[in-house]
Formats: sequence, C-alpha cells, structure tokens
Amino acid sequence: MFKTKKKSIWKAVATVTALVLICGCFVGCGKTVSDKDEQGRTMISVGSWPSSEGESLDKMNARKDRFEAANPDVVITPDTWAFERQTFYSKAAGGQLPTVYMAGFTEIPEIIGAKYSADLTNVLKKRGYDGKFNDAIVEVLSNDGKMMAFPTMAYILGLAYNVEMFEAAGLMEADGTPKQPKDWNEVVEFAVKIKEATGKPGLVLPTAGNSGGWIFTSIAWSFGVDFMEKNAEGRWQATFDTPEAVEALQFIKDLKWKYDVLPANTLVNGEEWYKQFATGNGAMTITAGDYPRRVIKYGMSADKVGMMATPAGPKRHVTLLGGEVLCVKRNATEDQIDAAIRWIETAYNYSLTDEYKKNAEASIESQLNEGRHVGIKSMSPWNVNTEALAWYHDYIDSKTNANINHVRLYNEFVANCPADVQPEEPVCAQELYAILDGCIQEVLTNKNADCATVISNANSDFQVNYLNNLL
Amino acid sequence: MKLRQVLQQNKSMSQTRRRMRRRNNIDAWVLMLPMVIILYLFVWRPTVLGGVWSFFRMSGYSVGEFCGIDNYKMVLSHTQFMPMLWNTIQYVLWSLLIGFLPPLVIAIMVDEIVHFKSGFRVLIYLPTVIPGIAAMLMWYFMYYPDQTGLLNMLLSKIGVDPYLWLNDPKFAIIGIVIYSTWKAFPGTMLLYFAALQGVSSELYEAALIDGAGSFKRFWHVTRPGIEGLLLLNVVRQIISVFQVMEAPMAMTGGGPNGASTPLSLQLYRYGFNSGGKGTGQAMALGVIIFVILIVFTIFYFWLNRKVENRH
Repeated sequence: MFKTKKKSIWKAVATVTALVLICGCFVGCGKTVSDKDEQGRTMISVGSWPSSEGESLDKMNARKDRFEAANPDVVITPDTWAFERQTFYSKAAGGQLPTVYMAGFTEIPEIIGAKYSADLTNVLKKRGYDGKFNDAIVEVLSNDGKMMAFPTMAYILGLAYNVEMFEAAGLMEADGTPKQPKDWNEVVEFAVKIKEATGKPGLVLPTAGNSGGWIFTSIAWSFGVDFMEKNAEGRWQATFDTPEAVEALQFIKDLKWKYDVLPANTLVNGEEWYKQFATGNGAMTITAGDYPRRVIKYGMSADKVGMMATPAGPKRHVTLLGGEVLCVKRNATEDQIDAAIRWIETAYNYSLTDEYKKNAEASIESQLNEGRHVGIKSMSPWNVNTEALAWYHDYIDSKTNANINHVRLYNEFVANCPADVQPEEPVCAQELYAILDGCIQEVLTNKNADCATVISNANSDFQVNYLNNLL
Repeated sequence: MKLRQVLQQNKSMSQTRRRMRRRNNIDAWVLMLPMVIILYLFVWRPTVLGGVWSFFRMSGYSVGEFCGIDNYKMVLSHTQFMPMLWNTIQYVLWSLLIGFLPPLVIAIMVDEIVHFKSGFRVLIYLPTVIPGIAAMLMWYFMYYPDQTGLLNMLLSKIGVDPYLWLNDPKFAIIGIVIYSTWKAFPGTMLLYFAALQGVSSELYEAALIDGAGSFKRFWHVTRPGIEGLLLLNVVRQIISVFQVMEAPMAMTGGGPNGASTPLSLQLYRYGFNSGGKGTGQAMALGVIIFVILIVFTIFYFWLNRKVENRH
C-alpha cells in the first residue's frame, strides 16, 4: 500500500516536471514584445550594471533614480551582463541583449557587420550631436555615414613605466618627469639600464590571449608594416610578408635573446601582462591610458604609475587608437533609441549639464577611493572644443592624486599628438592578433627561429584560414 | 468443458499480464519523461542541429543559406588542422603512458594498507574535489618558468638552472597531461579499488600457499579479476582525453605557438572567439570530432558487452 502511494507520488512529480519543462519551451512563442510598460513608459534595459553590493552599485542606482525622476516617460531595467566575445553572439541571436550594451572598438566592425547595433544617426542629430564627436572616432564607428555606436571612452597607446624602477635606474628628472625614449632603440637602452640597476626585466610585453598581437601591430606599423589591403576585386589580401615585418619581429626576438630584458615567462596573456608590470617584473610596457584601473588590484598605487609617449619606429611615428562604445541593440524602437541616448548623456555628454557633472565627479571619487591613479587625460571621444571636455580636464587636474609630471608627457602626447593615430585593422583583427601571438611565442621560445620564415607562414596562415573565407 | 475453462482462464491471465506490462510501460515513460525532455533539449536537439547547421553559412548563431560542405573544407584546409590533430593524439598517447597506471598502482597500495585505509582514501580523493580552475592555476604557478615557480625553486635547491616547463613547446602537452592525471586519477582509482574488493581473498590465500610472490599474485589473481575494467578505462580515457580543452586553454592558451592546441580548443575558438564568423566551422569540426569519437564509442560498447558477458 505504502509502496503504491510512493510510486504515485513519484509519477505525479515526474508528470508535473515534464509539464513545466514543456510549458517552459513554449514560453515566449508568439509573444510580441512591446517597448512600453502598462503606464506607457518606454522600457530600456542597460547592461554592465554592477552585480555586487557596494559603492558602484549604489551610485548606479542613484543615477537611475535621478534619471527616472527627470525622465518620467522612461523606465530602466538593470542588466548585469557585460560584453564578452564568448557570449555576445549567442545572446544577440537569441534577442537577449540589453537595449544598451558596452563594447570595444575592436569588436565594432564585426558588430556593425552582423547588424547587431541600431543606427543612432537620427536621434543624435536631433539631440545636437553634429560636429561634437572627435572626427577620428566617428570614422571608426560609422557605416555608410551612419553612426552605429556612442563613443564613451577613447585612448591611444603610450609607454607606461614603473616610477620606482625608473628612479632606481636614474631615468627620472628631479621634478618627477621621466626621460622619454624617442625610438625603439632608446627603449632597449632604457631597458638594459633598468635591468643593470634593479636586476628586473626592463620591459614586459603581452604574448598571448590576442593581447600580444594587438600590441605587436602597433610596433610593426612603426617599422612600416601594412597588414592587409583590399585588392581590385574587393577581396582582402594579407600583405605583411615583408622585410619590415621581419625587422619588427627581429626586434622582439632581440629583446629576449640579445638584450635579455624580458621576463622569463613567454606565455603572457592580458591578465598576466598587467600583473607582471604592476608587481615590478617589467619596468616599461606599451599600453592604453586606462591602465591604472587594471594594475590597482595588484597593488600598484597612484604614485608608482607613470606614462609617456609611444616611441617612434624606424619608418613611422604611429600609435593605435582604441576605446569603448555604448551600442543600442538592433531591433530597438525609435523611442527606445531616444531614451537610451538620454540615459547615456547623463554620464557622457558634450554639454556640461548638472547631471553629467554629478556623474563625472562620482566616477573620479570612486577612482580616488580605490587608490587608482587620477591624472591621465586619455583621448576624448569629444571634439576638443566641447565645454564638458574642458571642464573634465580641469577637474582631473584639481583631483590628481600623484605627481602630475609622472604622466605629463603622455597627456601632452594625447593633446598634441605628433604621431599618426591609427585605428585597429579593419577585418579579422582578433584572428590576426592570435596569429601574431604565435609568431611572438615562436621567436621567444626558439633561439634559432628564423623571423622571415615565421612571418611568411603567418602571412599565409592569415590569408588561407581567414581572409579567403570572408564573403 | 474443463479445457475451455482452463483456456478461458489462461486467456484472461495473459490479458491481465499484457495490461500490467502496458501499464508498467506507461509508468516507466512517465517517470522517464522529464529526463527525456531534458536530453532532447540539451543533448539530442543541439547535436542534430549542429550537424545540420554545419552545412549552412552561419552569421553568428543565425542560419544563412545552404553551403554544402564548405564549412568542412574550411576546417580541413586550415593550415593548423593537422598539427592540432597530432597534438590531440599526443594528448591521448601521453595520457595513456603517464595517466593509465598510477590509479591502478595506488588502488592496489590502498587495498594493501591495513590501518587508516579510509583516511588514505579520503586524502587521495582530495584533488578531485578541488575546483578545476583553481587546480589549473595551482599547477600553472608550480610550472612558472622563473625562480618563483615551485618546481624551479626545488631545482634551484639542487643547483639546477630553472626550466621553462609549459613555455617549452616540447613539454607543454606533457605538463598538461601530468596535471590532468593528478586531477582525475582519484576517481579512476576508486573504481579500481572497488573492483579489487571483488577479487576473492581465497584466491590470494591459495596463491600464497602455492608460494606466489607479490608480482605473481598480481599477475595471476588481481589482473584477471579487474582486466575488464582496465580495458574499459583505456577506451573511456581515449574518448575523454580526445576532447581535452579547459586545461590547455587555462594553462598555456594552446601555446607556445600552437604547440599544445588540441582540436576541441580550436572548436571553442571557432565558436566563441571568431566574432560570429566561425560558427559554421565550429559545427563542422564538432561533427568531425563526433565521427572520430563514435568509432571509439562503438568499440567501447562492444567491449563493455563482452566484459559484462564474461562476468
């Protein structure tokens, strides 16, 4: 009797579970998603929302409350998903992206190509953005003259250095300004001096996780390398099987085998790179102006962080342009795009509104509380004449938490850039970086590697495996 | 009359039996239904769709037009396909060489221990309960190529220069296999240990009386008792190591210069690191790996049946 009852319970549980699963499969089928709630307010979801309790979440919630009070026709739904290449395409295909999501300049050509971002041109025009953005950045984010993303942060690569190690090697002026290596040869001289003075590697470069290739492209450009071009038939051709590319790779190889100024680990991905630099296992590195946020977790405090201009190469003085954008998902309605831009404006604005000031001040305050360096003036997405930018730079000066001379040379480099500012490669950038990672690893682990053969193979791999497969 | 009654009785009994069987069948299906739905949603449907979509041009995860075997051509003509296949085979070979015997040896040792047997079993099982990424990071730092790596510290104590470990293309796969063996052997060890419990102690006593030494006891008593399990584990190990991905991804990123990239890591890159351009190729490579593994799987089931029949 008891056994029969128990069996019936199990059967009931199994039936209910099966029904729930079947119903779950059909939830959402045929449902039309409206952009309005019951009160007629436009609903937008915002990605990269802080997921853990703390100052960032409190500030974001306060920003949301102020925004909704000032814009009663809009309601914000927080979404903690932040851009990841690994999950982006499945979320996009499933229609699960937040209305507003953040992405990097590297990914923007692919996102635009896959039509996963909405055209913001009309709304931006309506809200007076014509001529307000930095022209170089507009070029990267446009498709057939249409603005497909809202730039929030931009940077150009510079040479970061460890202040204490520079001091130990006598490479600092009395006022805290570093000596600036003019070209790659001087970088090597500096690295050798630092190694002699401190016993630590003078330079650390990434070599894995696509970061190695990313940094190498900018070095190679300065040696005169062009990685690809479109031929007369409109097909992309890899063009870096050249003496210039071999020379650039030989430069990397010499850092290890001729000058011995690199760390022992030759598998350095993005995280390992900043860890090595922050913990004094590399006195210099080539990186973006936002690097203080990446090194603070390894204890590199504000007074140890320094930054200066990217050195010139034998053929060109060039630096890489990168940054972050906010995209609006492709099937957003015109009302949602308008609401999204209004939300974005509260933190990123050409016009000096009270709300913008409040959010910018809160952001700097958070950085100061974390002990992060404040003082680097990264490249701005805005035209230099915008009043918000002028105020923001003055505000950074007033809040700087270390000797401003440590980063003065980089700030001057950004303000009046003597170098060519070049965006990332237009197609298959990540795939190219992965192949170049392999080239760097090969020459750093094999003393007898022939740079010409390595480059020739890489050029052919890139053409056969990726460029030939582009439609 | 009597015969008719018996026949009638038999007929109604067989009807009742049939009804009960049918009812049991329905009960079984009701109980299995949730699992069948889950398997359909998360295993069968994706597997079949992956196979079908491998013949379509994909844009991210949106299905485009039919493209025949283009995705397969792209995968097979990838300049690194053969090196990656060879890497995968090397993982399998090294794992058999390094990883096959330790669980058996340790199981026999634990079986022989008289005191604190269960304590040892728990201690030996510990690597399995350490989260995978934490264990990989631990080994990554043990293998660290400068003086701060644990293994290099030990080498320096005996006056030997630091070694490159995972930075050496010739050692990268071996290093990962050593980690994987350390991580996975306790589970297999427990299987062997359970099998050893099943070997009759009378056989050991008889062998002892006959004057058999420890090796002869192992060869003539232990081995025949667990050889079915040993054979099955070889095939299971081949199938599982052929799909290795997490350890090379976390410990070497597939480097140096692709020296430790297996096919599954390439599949992951196609699927998740190609900006949506490689989804079709990911599915094609998935089918290729599936076809290779299905051969081993059929062999595994054939072997399993043989072993079950024997015992």
